Amino acid sequence: MHAQDKVVDPNEVVLWSDDYEGHDVISTRTFGFWMYVLSDGMLFATLFAAYGVLSYSHSYYTGPTPAQFVAPWYTFIQTMALFLSVLAYGFAMTALKSGSKAGVVNGIIASILLGGVFLGLNIHDVLRMISIGVTPETSGGLSAFYALTQVHAAHIFIGLIWMLVMLYQIMRQGFTEDTVGRLISLRMFWQFQAVMWVFIYIFVYLWGYMS
Amino acid sequence: MSHGHSDPIHHPEVQMATNRNYITGFVVSSLLMLAATILVDGHILPSFGLLLAIIGCAGIAIIAQVYFLLHIDISEHNIWNTVALVMFIPLFIITIGLTWWMFSQLYMRTMPMIPGMPGMH
Repeated sequence: MHAQDKVVDPNEVVLWSDDYEGHDVISTRTFGFWMYVLSDGMLFATLFAAYGVLSYSHSYYTGPTPAQFVAPWYTFIQTMALFLSVLAYGFAMTALKSGSKAGVVNGIIASILLGGVFLGLNIHDVLRMISIGVTPETSGGLSAFYALTQVHAAHIFIGLIWMLVMLYQIMRQGFTEDTVGRLISLRMFWQFQAVMWVFIYIFVYLWGYMS
Repeated sequence: MSHGHSDPIHHPEVQMATNRNYITGFVVSSLLMLAATILVDGHILPSFGLLLAIIGCAGIAIIAQVYFLLHIDISEHNIWNTVALVMFIPLFIITIGLTWWMFSQLYMRTMPMIPGMPGMH
């Protein structure tokens, strides 16, 4: 009788080992969070598709087009604030390598401040556009413009809250497997917002401004 | 991929962070955004050339950020993240490209020209 012919007894069979050496919580969570980040990318892809089909000149009807209300240098300063925020978070992650709590906390605080600058500039820009009559309900093109840019801004807002939560958890719990895993997930989330911003800045702001 | 249970700080996911990579990614993408802004603000190139130039800036900046910041490479630890991204790229292209193509064809074939309304491009 061959081994594979034996009937498996469900009461005795061992399906997995509790202390399997390769069990790696941080790697598993990081990969899982990367899956989330990519599906978040699909969310942005649908909004880019909507903007793409609603950015023809007839989409704005007779209302304002991005060429009339986009300020390239203002938005460039926003870009720099976001990139510097991502850089500061990178410095926090490098400080984590040596377990330096002060380095991580300082990096995250700098990242929060610069992310706050980005969000503040965005809110100021939206208020300026609304004051000159560029509102989401004016035309399909403007609805798509606001949906895409403000969904990104909402991601930044969530990221800032997440950073505040991480500051609290680092203070209270130190660098445990849980907090370190969350810091890595937040790093991917935050860097991904910079990648999305490159698309938005080039294809929505600059392209809109030049056409 | 056995990394032990001892100290999460020693996990390769933590230890692969380097200031040099983060600074390189920052400098490369910032310079490209600066170049794109100068080109567009000054209307230095003809329209189509300008479009190609800023698409190039965006493409290189994104590759730099994905490689230097997000650590998407073919090292043993990151290969599955890279594979997942490669699998997602066709979905991004189909979602954006096919939708845009469909609607551009639809507009071209169905939209009547209304007097007083801005034309199709």
